[in-house]
Amino acid sequence: MIYLDSAATTFQKPASVAAAMWDALATMSSPGRGGHSAAMRAADTAFQCRSELAELFHLDNPEQVVFTLNATHALNIAIKSLVPPGGRVVVSGYEHNAVTRPLEALGANVAVAVCPLFRPDAAEDAFQRLIKSGVSAVICSHVSNVFGFIQPLEAIAALCKSRGVPLIVDASQSAGVLPLDGKALGAAYIAMPGHKGLYGPQGTGVLLCGDGVQPRPLLEGGTGSLSIQQQMPDFLPDRLEAGTHNMPGIAGLLAGVRYVRQRGTKKILDRERQLIQQAADGLSRIPGLCVYAEPGMQNQTGVLSLTVKNQGAEELGTALAERNIAVRAGVHCSPLAHRSAGTLNTGTIRVSVSDFNTPGEISRLVSAVRRIRARK
Amino acid sequence: MEHYLILARSVTYAQRMQKVLNRAGVRCQIFRAPRDLSNLGCAYAVRIATVDLTAALTSLHAASLDPVQIFLYQRGLYQEVHP
Repeated sequence: MIYLDSAATTFQKPASVAAAMWDALATMSSPGRGGHSAAMRAADTAFQCRSELAELFHLDNPEQVVFTLNATHALNIAIKSLVPPGGRVVVSGYEHNAVTRPLEALGANVAVAVCPLFRPDAAEDAFQRLIKSGVSAVICSHVSNVFGFIQPLEAIAALCKSRGVPLIVDASQSAGVLPLDGKALGAAYIAMPGHKGLYGPQGTGVLLCGDGVQPRPLLEGGTGSLSIQQQMPDFLPDRLEAGTHNMPGIAGLLAGVRYVRQRGTKKILDRERQLIQQAADGLSRIPGLCVYAEPGMQNQTGVLSLTVKNQGAEELGTALAERNIAVRAGVHCSPLAHRSAGTLNTGTIRVSVSDFNTPGEISRLVSAVRRIRARK
Repeated sequence: MEHYLILARSVTYAQRMQKVLNRAGVRCQIFRAPRDLSNLGCAYAVRIATVDLTAALTSLHAASLDPVQIFLYQRGLYQEVHP
């Protein structure tokens, strides 16, 4: 299979990830739940994973790294810690339902920083107009999961800092691909999946907590600490990690993080951009396709969307799946991004790559689309 | 054998202490604290040799990792100390 759906989950992982997961199943129990060797081995692995994530994202303290089920879980903790029911929130025009649905559930008063695709200057202007005192939080998807559009995160973080408004970053598409400096950004929370650009397994996510935050747990339960007390501990990571940890997942995530650190995010980004540029060049020569690519790709990562004249996105996606090429068709759980880009009625076909894709695979994708379109 | 147990609020905190102490050249091990040492329930502690207490506390304080409590193990008994 040619797998081009890495914006959902990276499918090809470093071999070390599966090996680490097997090792965890064979040798680890639960961290913080005993002094025997299986518990301590789990604790060592969890701590190592927190420490390496803290180093990758420039945080001083591994206790600020919280393991979650996925980015959605992490975002829910962050949003529900900062936004009261009916609170005022500013979001980018490219947010995922992982942000907009929790806000809807809270009845938040949401202002959208609307901007055209690949116009970070317009995004910054829009945030500049909307971030005011009294806003409970600004929430920004670093990179759009539909279009690969990179939001001007540093500028938005600076605006938040200067106006005293906490920032939540959805780094679902940027963690492991773009540099992300938690300390310099000063964000209250940065949420990310473990199973995309960090190459860990599904069922892993991470919430990076900024200095001085007071998060509200979504779950209460055992933490292996302060066991007699009936309130959740007030310290991290225990406050947000009730219940047994996903140790095979955390061990796999550690192996994935090590792969990213060894390769370097710049090399990974360069490779992904080259592949997406190749796809954009090839696909844009096919009549009837509208390809959403930025010339030069300065504000785009390894994600590319396209629409098709006289053919539904799902229809083309199915035809590619029949040829063993995996892309994603539809709205990608991000109606707000489609509304901003004007593609809500059609949806898009999304091509998203990882460090494991090759130029040959992109050539086969372009050839397959050309053949499918020639039959129309 | 006489030693000190430096109580930590969690296993992660104890691991941070261990990392700082190892960097400072202080040998230590993480243990589950005996139940009667903590009135808040399960806890972890870092065990160090008695001669290392001053160096350990200096390093931990410099890293803003202050202990919850410190106990001296002597003649089969733990006794809280306040150095």
